[in-house]
Formats: sequence, structure tokens, C-alpha cells
Amino acid sequence: MKKYIIISIICLGVITSFSSCKGFLDTEPTDVVVAETAMLTLYDAGIAVNGLYVDLKWYDYYGTYMQLMGDERGDNIQPRTMSSGWIQIYTLGYDSESNTYFNMWQKCYQTIMRCNTLLANIEKLDPATSADKKKRDDYKGQAYAVRALIYFDLARMYGYPYMKDNGASLGAVLITDVVSISDAKQDRSTVAQTYDLILSDLDQALSLLSKDKNTGHFNYWAAKLLQARVYLYKGDWDAAYNAAKEVIDQSPYNLVPNQEYLDYWQQEGGDETLLEFFVTTQSTIDDDGGYVSFYHNLWHGDVSAGASLIPTVSWINLVQSEPGDIRAEFLRTDSKYEISKAWLCKFPGTNGVNFRLNNPRILRLAEAYLIAAEGALKGSAGVNQASNYLNAIRKRANPSTTDVVATEDLIQDERRKEFIGEGHRFFDMMRIGGSIVRSDGDGYNFAVSAGCPEEIDWNYFKVVLPISHTERQIYPNLEQNPGYTE
Amino acid sequence: MKKRIFICLCSMLLLSGVAVAQTKITGSVTDASDGSPVSYVTISIQGTQTTTATDVNGSYIFTNVPEDAILVFSCIGYSSQEVPVNGRNRIDVELSQESVGLEELMVVAYGTVQKGSYSGSATQIKQDKFKDVPVVSFEQAIVGSVPGVQITQRSGQPGSLPEIRVRGFGSFNAGNEPLYVIDGIPATSGDWGSDNIFTSSMNFLNPGDIESITILKDAAAASLYGSRASNGVILITTKTGRKGKPVSTFRANVGLSYFAMDNYPLASDEEAEILHRESWTNYGTDNPVKWQPYGSLDNYVDAMVEKYYPSRKSEFIYVDWEKELFRVGISQNYEYNISGGGDNSKVFASLAYNDDKGVNVIEYLKRITATINAETKIGKRLNIGGSVQFSNQTQSGHQEGAAKDNPFYLWKVHLTSRWPFQYASDGSYWMESYNGGSQRNPVGQFNLQINDANQMRVILKGWAELRLTDYLKIKTIVSDDFLQMHDRFGWLYGHVNFSAYGNGYMSDRYRFVNKVVSSTVANFNKTFGNHHISAMVGWEAEKEHFTYTRVGMVDFTNFGATQSALATTLDEAFTYVADANILSAISNLNYDYNSKYYLAASFRRDGSSRLSPKNRWGSFWSVSGSWRISNERFMSNVSQINDLRIRGSYGTSGTLPSSRYAYKAVFDYWTYGTEGAGYPDNLANADLTWEKNKNWNIAVDARLFDRLDITAEYYNKLTTDLLLDASVPSTTGFTSALTNIGSMVNKGLELAFSLDVIKKRDMVLNLGLNWATLHNEVLSLSEEGEQIVSRPWIWKAGYSYVQYYTREYYGPDPETGEPLYYSNKILDDGTRDRTLVSRSQASSTILEGMTAIPKGYGGFNAAFTWRSLSVSMAWSYKYGHYVWDNGVDDMETDGYNLYANIAKSQIECWQNAGDQTYLPRRIAGNTGGGYYDSSRALKKGDYLRLKNLTVSYTLPDKVKRFLRLSNARVYLAGANLLTFTGLNFDPEVRADGYYNFYLPALRTVTLGVEISL
Repeated sequence: MKKYIIISIICLGVITSFSSCKGFLDTEPTDVVVAETAMLTLYDAGIAVNGLYVDLKWYDYYGTYMQLMGDERGDNIQPRTMSSGWIQIYTLGYDSESNTYFNMWQKCYQTIMRCNTLLANIEKLDPATSADKKKRDDYKGQAYAVRALIYFDLARMYGYPYMKDNGASLGAVLITDVVSISDAKQDRSTVAQTYDLILSDLDQALSLLSKDKNTGHFNYWAAKLLQARVYLYKGDWDAAYNAAKEVIDQSPYNLVPNQEYLDYWQQEGGDETLLEFFVTTQSTIDDDGGYVSFYHNLWHGDVSAGASLIPTVSWINLVQSEPGDIRAEFLRTDSKYEISKAWLCKFPGTNGVNFRLNNPRILRLAEAYLIAAEGALKGSAGVNQASNYLNAIRKRANPSTTDVVATEDLIQDERRKEFIGEGHRFFDMMRIGGSIVRSDGDGYNFAVSAGCPEEIDWNYFKVVLPISHTERQIYPNLEQNPGYTE
Repeated sequence: MKKRIFICLCSMLLLSGVAVAQTKITGSVTDASDGSPVSYVTISIQGTQTTTATDVNGSYIFTNVPEDAILVFSCIGYSSQEVPVNGRNRIDVELSQESVGLEELMVVAYGTVQKGSYSGSATQIKQDKFKDVPVVSFEQAIVGSVPGVQITQRSGQPGSLPEIRVRGFGSFNAGNEPLYVIDGIPATSGDWGSDNIFTSSMNFLNPGDIESITILKDAAAASLYGSRASNGVILITTKTGRKGKPVSTFRANVGLSYFAMDNYPLASDEEAEILHRESWTNYGTDNPVKWQPYGSLDNYVDAMVEKYYPSRKSEFIYVDWEKELFRVGISQNYEYNISGGGDNSKVFASLAYNDDKGVNVIEYLKRITATINAETKIGKRLNIGGSVQFSNQTQSGHQEGAAKDNPFYLWKVHLTSRWPFQYASDGSYWMESYNGGSQRNPVGQFNLQINDANQMRVILKGWAELRLTDYLKIKTIVSDDFLQMHDRFGWLYGHVNFSAYGNGYMSDRYRFVNKVVSSTVANFNKTFGNHHISAMVGWEAEKEHFTYTRVGMVDFTNFGATQSALATTLDEAFTYVADANILSAISNLNYDYNSKYYLAASFRRDGSSRLSPKNRWGSFWSVSGSWRISNERFMSNVSQINDLRIRGSYGTSGTLPSSRYAYKAVFDYWTYGTEGAGYPDNLANADLTWEKNKNWNIAVDARLFDRLDITAEYYNKLTTDLLLDASVPSTTGFTSALTNIGSMVNKGLELAFSLDVIKKRDMVLNLGLNWATLHNEVLSLSEEGEQIVSRPWIWKAGYSYVQYYTREYYGPDPETGEPLYYSNKILDDGTRDRTLVSRSQASSTILEGMTAIPKGYGGFNAAFTWRSLSVSMAWSYKYGHYVWDNGVDDMETDGYNLYANIAKSQIECWQNAGDQTYLPRRIAGNTGGGYYDSSRALKKGDYLRLKNLTVSYTLPDKVKRFLRLSNARVYLAGANLLTFTGLNFDPEVRADGYYNFYLPALRTVTLGVEISL
């Protein structure tokens, strides 16, 4: 009897195991969401919009590299010693085989893909109310604007300045859809074609975006200021002037007054910030605003700081050339590392809590003033308008200064003083056909002995970044920039 | 139960008593190798049905034996012996264990076979081959003993995960680890920790509980495991109860360990100072602007050397860092087991405890294991059984590689002899950074650093076997394999290195893996005259449920707090679950004719949840055959050849993606500001399928002169649809996508010899040698001419999977000492430019012939027994391969590293025009980058190592009897006692050739005792 009981238990076991097979092999992940169900509601779309920004603030883009590309390749910021502090950027020591700096190319296309995915799917949402419809339009507008920002960065990092050859050099690969691997292997466009896409994306964005303040996100005004910047790089002075003027005149943003200027840098959603990216978490500490961030390395006020970057002596001299300039107060001499060298205390961390965690400022009202000044000077608005806008920034920084008549040099010097640590200087010099001069013995410079030409202008092949060797291994029709090894 | 055994024995004796009485013989049977008693030896009178057997103590009484009879002593596992009585009434016999005999029973996929009838390629290692080798993980004990199998210890930390490669590399990204099957159940294996220390989930097995290990190598052997069989299968059979009076065995051993060799010899203090001086002198000479402020070059050099290699100050105490960081490791192992059984029931139970203290104070392993394994007969037709295996292991250690908590790395790279240890005034540790970096004196911080892993594992198994007829039986098994891994990583309050994390950081990660496997198999086994057929058909279902929970906190509230409950700020906390299921149908068919011709076939169909519904089912099969030539009539006169057969097999197997959901497009989430942020996370590939293996194998097995066993095999393993996390154009928005991309072949020759040099009653000497070659070649990638660079390797058709790719270093310019490289630019005619250029102008290239694939590898061993003394040793070797030494980046930097230790080899750098040397001129802060990512990191990896040597002595019978022990043994075992290599660091490097400051192998000496009651 016992035997039969056992046999029947076994048989039962066999049968039940078989009958439970249906669906046995269909399992679902729980730490991620299957794409088909990831954007079914407007709420989900809002989360996906945040996904457009979340990687832009990583160290290999606006978390660090983008600023260093502008400041450390320029003459604003340099390594403190020759052993750390992104020497390769300082000396333009990159080549097509060094992998370190090419995440930017990847990083850019990663978010371009996110913009394209959002744009491809958001049409499927059919909001019932007009408020929701506006929200959807705003999301779409943000995707266009983010895409424009990234293509603009690709154009200025990987392509020669527009004004060098009217955009004839190689620019970005233009991807505007969700693409398969084979569709992704397109030829590079020219810089001019890249600018065309940027401007058309911005037109789309401006027609869709909300004009309300939206901290950490693009709104109409941020897109408008970006448009002004793009026109400026393109040499379309009147368009640049008009766009910048619209932002100055009509946007809800205001220049922060002199006495609040130092505090402004630790404010989130500050009065003159049109676009910043949220850096709030330390959990993936080495990726966003953490230990590899340049804020960590600019800081010398704590033994645990990186302290590998310092402002150049020529920048210090410039900012101290007129007494009373509030921006000279960024300079501190209480370095915990090397007392003889001043350090730049511009970015004390959001609310001054942690010097590593700063929201990078991408677009600021001060830039609109200086774009308007430059656009007016070189375009039809004229030198008086230019001087007005330039003096507004000068006086904000130094109320005791006297008005000047705007010149190209004064505007560029003002930009240099105002935007240190915001990644403009190198690109400014290149776009106007100027040059960066750094000679050894000039302060603490050692760029030349470390292998960099003393004077860099847009004829030097390394003013554009190389396309990564590894990328080209799988994508040979991705043309290399001239001068670099294949 | 004891009673039942007694009755059995009595009835045996009574039965034998019926024979015609002539004389009564008593005696004992012992094992020739160690003198231990052999129980249940069948003793028969030749030509009659009369038999008796020895009892548990190996003694026997045989009554009514004709005085001129010949007694035949036979026992499974031993060679039979015929002894003429010649009127004696006491006959003691020593039986020799059968050396790898062809009739040996071997555990194979879903069953056991006689070795001689098996046409697959498999090697079985029985526990007596490794029982005295003192290891925590059994894999280490069989290094070098299986041809074609490379086993490497990844690290010298206790409990580290060994790396096993069966017949080369089968895969790019799906993993190259073999499948482990324990007592018929596919088991959870590998490292389930968080990669802060190596921890092997197979460590739950106490090596002393293992009866045998079989490694399945070809398709005929492994195809029955289908979609997971491509990298070979390791079958582990654990001990079960043996019939007879319960035997208790107690083992204990204690071992001492320290580094097996002098790794990375460094320049002495004086030499280092000279080298620093040289690099600053050269730097100053090249940059006069630097020394001018100092007045003279000498002043400048003095100042620089003082800055970077400061003279010793009286306020500090300096030490020999090796003595402060390392100690002699001590391991202890205690084991108790009991085995017994009667005709119907058998039980085995064991309990073991390991305590292993590594060479660094933070390294330890403590493990307790317990097993019970029982089976019983119910009625005539039903057998049921079950087992419980439990283990609890806690491991602690430090990160490997160039990590700031790896004491080995700190010792070799950063902690120079000028790095202060303590303040002379109060003896407190000097905790400043001497090099401006994040490294600190680790000694005072060891107790503030947490890097540990606790593994608990329980395997419950139940089975029932129903014998329907003599030739047909059905067996069903259900098992639940539960693994709990809890590992922690953190720094407690006060750890200076990591003030970055505020006042401490602690992250707890919990992983639970629950694997339920159920299988039901019907076996048919019948002989029709000369035809013998066995067949099997069944099914198997496997359900793996994985849970991951992670909690991280920062800022401890209190000095001394060790758990995150006492930290204030939540860093991260989350949980998710994931499932991976497999459903399979299995079958095989074996046929042999007259023990001469054998044919076998197997078929398995697997469905896996890791693939999309349209691709998830796949079929795997094999056919094989062998011809036992020696059983042919025409061979019967060839007495020199005891056994000879040829065999061959062909079949398929597969490898599943290691990712559970790679075929689905998914969104991942993060936070942006205070809200969520979602984004597409992968480039999904709905066409994803398994890697497919086509595998053939031919072999010859022979035993000659009744002394020499030879096995020669040749295999060819072709893998197609390789799973590769292939780089994709960044313009897709992704960097890689899991793809079935290309094909790769592994082929090679394997030879194994075993020679009985001496085969006497009281003296046995056996020598064994195995040698294997491996040819590994990538045959195709997704596109013609494509090359995938994964530094320091490149994957390209025509080259091995571990082909090195880097800049080709030439040496210094004899005139200037500047490092020179071959340009290796591709010229218009397709050849490479061989002119010598500086580093920045040099292109990386495929370095022809420089690969991590060895030309040959294997081992040899010797076993010698003389009466109760036995000595055995095992060597392993590997040659003809290159290893990538990452230490070059840190210690041979030609002056780049201003503070760090300097390798002794740097003394030979270029100094004066005309110097012929390999190393360039030293220059401080060297930006020429002569040292890193170039062929300078490639070194010949050849080595020969005495893996283990064991001397064992069994106490004489008199002493045993006096102590009332059935057996007593003492043994002395050594591991890694001798190493011969041209490398300046430990040569046991991973199969891909990459070495980066893993804690090197240890030399261990162990003393042990074993007592059986």
C-alpha cells in the first residue's frame, strides 16, 4: 500500500510539474521596465524628459569635461602640478587612440537617442485636456532644445569654427530618429549642415516650449538664449543680437545685483540662471559632481578636496587689473595644498553644503548681455547698444567702474572674467579666429614644456577633438579629423 | 541496524559452512597503498560458488576450504588476487587499488558507466587523489591533473574563486565557466558577491565530502547538459554511506602559509635614491630653467630628491613594510564523518570546520559544513533517498588590483622605505599622505575597513527510484538549492583614506539565489545475447529565483559603530527580483556488441527564459562510438597489449546569455533633482540566441605491458553565434549591444600517460604525465575584416581570443635614451611601417605571436608507496604564452612616478650614449609614457610549479589494534613548494593572461592526522 502511495505521489508530482509549464519560460525583469510599457502616460513622459538631462551632468560632459574644454584648453584654468589635473586637456595631448576624452562623443549621442526616442513616442499620447496638451508640447520642445544643445556642442568640439570656413569642415553625424545599428553608420555632415539642424530644432523648440521658469529644464528663454549663442558662433550678428535682446527684455530673469553675486553661485534656481542641471546625489559618487568632477579639483579649501586645478596668473592679473571687481573675490589664498598659489572659489556647492556638488550653469542671463553687446558691435545695432550691454555686466561686477566704449577686446575680456569655470574661453577665441597664448614661465604655465604649442589658433589641428580610434574600428566611414592618425 | 548487519554476516558464514569441511582459514585483507583494512572483499574458491567476505575490519574466517584450493580475493576498486592455500590456515592479503582501469565505474551525465564502454571524453578523479591536499576549494586540489583543463587560483586570499577553463575559451561574453552538477543536479556556481573580494559559491563543498570529480570535455560527454554544456561540465559526486558497521573518521590539519615566491623585487633604499637622483638630474639637465632658481643643478636635484624621496627624519619611525603588512597565514581544518549501513539503508554524515587566516590581518575564512545523505529500500522495487548539505562561510579580505586597500599593491607600489610609519614621540601612526595621493598607511586602518562576505547555502534533495522490471527503472529527483550571499563593503568612522565619504560608509548587499530543479528519468538496460542496450528518456525543469537587496548608509554616529543602523544618512536602498527558468527533455541511447563495438547517441531539447519566445527552444545532440580492438579475437595473442580501443564523437552544445533579459528593450531609471528620470537602457536584440558549439573528438586508449596507460585525444570545438556585447556605433545612442556575432575554434591534442614503475606487494611507484596543446582562433566576426579592440586584447578573425594589441616597444635610442617604438602605421601597400618613432607617433598593432594561449600545459605526478609510507606529488606547468603585467605601469615608469617604489629592473635603464639596454633613460615626471600600454607589459609566462607534495604514514597494525583504531594516519602536505619561472611575479595568471596585483599564490605546509574508529 505504502508503495502505491509513493508511486502516486511521484506521478502526481510529474503531472503537476508538467501542467505548470505554461508561462514557465516567460519571466519579466523588475529592476527595469520593458520599453513597450515605459511611456504610456504623460507622467511617464515627464520622467523620460528628466532622462534627457540626467546624463548631461556626468563628468564626461557638463559635469567636468565641457568646462575644461573651454577653460583649461584656454588660458583661464590650469593644472596645479604636472602630475594631475587633466594634463591631456591642458596640453591638448589627446590623440585618436587615447580613450579618455571620447566619452563625450558617446555621451552626446546617448542623449540624442533619448531625445529621438521621446519624440518618436510622445505623439502616441493623446492628452484630453488642453493643459495636458500644453505639457506634452513642452516636453516635445524640451527634447528639441536638448538635441540642439548637444548638436551645438558636437559642432564646436569636433568641427572647426564656423567662421573659419563658413561651416565647410566636418561636423556631427546627424541622427534625428531612433536608428538601427546599420542606419546609425551615416557619414559626418558639415558644420554648416549641423548648424542648420540646430537652428531648425531650436525653431521647433521655441514654438512648443513653455515660457514659465522650469529649473533644471529648458524653457522658452533658455532655448532663445541658446539660439542667440548659436547665431553668435555662426557670425549672424543681428540674429544673435535680436535673440539675446528678447531674452533680456522679455524674460522673467534678472541680473543678480553685485552684493548678491557671490551668493548666487550656491543658489539653485537663481535669478539669472536660465538653464542649470541638477547635481544632487553623491551615490554614484565618481560620476556626477563627485570626486572626478572639476569642482572637487578646483577646491583647495579642504584637505579632502582634489585641488589639482588653479586659475592662471594671466586670469588673476586680468580680474585684478581694476580694483573693486567682485569676481576677484573668487580668488582665495588659503589653499590647504599649496599656499603660494591662489585658487578659485567660485563654486562652493549648492547651498554651500558640499563643494563637490554644484549645479553646472549652462545658460545665464549675463551671457545674453554679452552676446547682445557683441552682436550689436559687429552687427547693425551699433556700438552704443554694445556699450550699454557691456557696461551693464561690468558695472554689476564693479559698481565703481566707469563706462567704456565697447570694443571686441573689451567684450572678450569681459567674457573671460565673467565666465571662468563655465567653459567658454577656448571656444570664444576659436570662433572669432583669435588665439590662446600660454608660455612657460608666465605664471605657473608649463604647457609648452609638456608638449603644447605656445600659441593656439584655429589652424592647429588639435583645436578639434579626434574621433576615437575604437569608434572608427566599427564605423570606418566615420571620417577622422585632419591631422590625427587613422 | 548493527543487528541487521550482524545477521547478514552470520548468514553468509553459515552458508559457507555447508561446504565440505577441510580446513579453516583466517586472515585479513589490507589496502596495499596505506595498509588500511579493506572491508567486504569477496573471497571465493576458484571454480566453485563458495564465497565469503571480509568484515569491516578487513578480517575474514573461511571454513571448509580444500587445502589445495586457490582463493580469489576481489573487491570493486581493487585488482583481484589469486592465492593458493597450500595448506596454510592464515592468509593475509594486500590488495592494490586498480589504477585507472578501463572497467572502473565512472560518473557521467545522468548515470554511471564502465570506463571501457564510454566513448565520450571525460576524466574522473577520485577522492584519494586529492584527499590530503589542504585546500578550501576542491578545484585547487586537481590543478594539473586533467589534460586540457586549466585551473588558476585568481588570488591568494582565503576562499578565492578558482578559474577553470575546459579546452580553451568557448565564449566572448557569455562566460567561460563550466557547468557544475552536484549529484545529478545542475548547481548554482560562480561568484555571487559584489566583486570586492572573490568568493566562490562552490566553497560550500568541503573537499573531504567529495567522492569523485568528473570533468566532461567533449560533446558525447556533455551534450546531455545542452544549452549550458559548451564550457565543459564538472560532475561532483559526494560521499554516501557504505554498507557495514558505522565507521567514524576524524581528520585534523594545521597549515602555515606565506607567499610562494619573491614577487616584484624592488630596488633597495640606496638603489632607489640613486634612481631618483638620476631621473631628477636628467630632468634638470633637459630643463635648465627649472634648476636656475636653485643656483646649480646639484642643488636642484638635492632639493627634488629630498622632496620626493625625503631623507629619514628622527621624528618618525620607518619600517620594513612587508613585516607590518603581512604575517604567516595559519589554517586549521577539522572534519568528522560517519558512514554506515545495512542491506536496505545507508547513511553518511559529516561535519567540518575550517579556519583559515590569510597572510594579511584582514584576510580570513571560517566555514562550517554539514551533510547528511541517506537512502533506503522500501519493498523490492522502490529506493528512496535524500540529502541535506549545509554550509556557512564567512570570508574577509581586501580588494584586488591597484586599489588603495590592497596591501600587496600598497606594499609594492606606494609604501617606500622613506614613508614614515609612526611618530617616534608617541608611537602613533603617521597617517598623512606622502605622495599627495589618496594612499595612506594602511596598518592603523585595517580594523576600520570592512570587506567581507557571508555565504550560507543549503541544498535539500529527495529522490525516489522505482525498479519496474529488472531492466527498466524510473528515477525522480527534486532539489532546492538555496544560496544566501551577504557581503559588505565600507569604512568605519575614523578611516582617514575615505573622509570623502563623510564619517564612514557601509554598504550591505544581499543576494538570494533559490534554484529548484526537478527531473524524472526512465532508464532501460538490457542484454540480448551479445547485444547490450541501455537507454534513458526524461525531462528536467529548473527554476532560478534571484533576489537582490542593497542598503548603503554614510556618516556613522559613533566611533566604533560597525553596522549601518548607526549611520545617519541613507545613501541607497533597493530590492529587485529576477527569474531564469529552463525546461528540458533529455534522452540517450547506448548500444554495445559483445564488448567490442559501442555506439551512443544523446538528444536534449532546452527551452530558456533568457531568450525571446521565437528563439527559446533549441536542440542539442551527440553521436559517438568506440571499438575495443583488444577484445577482438586476433588480439588475444598479443599479450603486450592489455587493452586497446579507439573512440570518436561528434555533437552540439550551447551557451546561454548570462544576462537574463537581454532580448527585451528596457527603460532604466535614475533620479534627476527630486524626480525620477527614465531612459532606454539597451539596444535590444530580439534575435538573440545561444552560442552553438560543434564539437568532435577522437581518441585512443591503451594499456600496455600491464603497466602503462596511455590516452591520446584530439578535439575540435567550433563555436558559432558567439555572444558578444559588441561595440556599436555611438550614434545609436549606445556603446554596445549583446549580439550573436561570429565564430571561434578551439582545438588541441591531449596526452596522458600513467606508468606503474613498481608494482610489488609492499611497494608501488606510479608516474603520470599529461600534456595538452591548445589552438584558439577567432574565425569570423560580424563583418569581414572587423576588429574589436578590448585592450590589451583585440578580437579579429585569424587571431586568438587573447591576442595582445598595443604599441610595439623597441627600446631606448642608444644615443639619447629616449624610448622608441615601431611606427606600425599601415602603409599604402598594406604593410606596416617599421621605422622607429616616439610613442605619440606609434600606432597600436596586433603583436603577431603574442597571445595568452599557451603552446602547451599540463602536469605530472608521482605516487610512491612503501608499506605504510606513501609519498605523492603533483606538478603543473604551462609554456609558450605571454602575460600582461600591469605592474609595469606602476613600478617601471622610467621616472614618471615621482614618489612610488621602483622595480629592481630599473637599475638597468639607459644612462650614457651607447648603452645597450631595454629600458629608456629615466626622467622625472616622464611624459614620454614609455612604460604604459605598450609591449613592455608583455612577458613570457612559462612556469613549472610543484603544486603539492604529500607524505603520509599509516600507523602499524599493532599500534592501531592497541589503540583500537581501524585506521590512523599522519600526513605532511605542501603546496606551491617550488616555482620555476622567468617572471618577476607569481606565474599563476588567469587564462586570459592579465595580471594586476592580485594577491599572489601562497606556499603552504600542512600537518594532518586522520583517525578512523
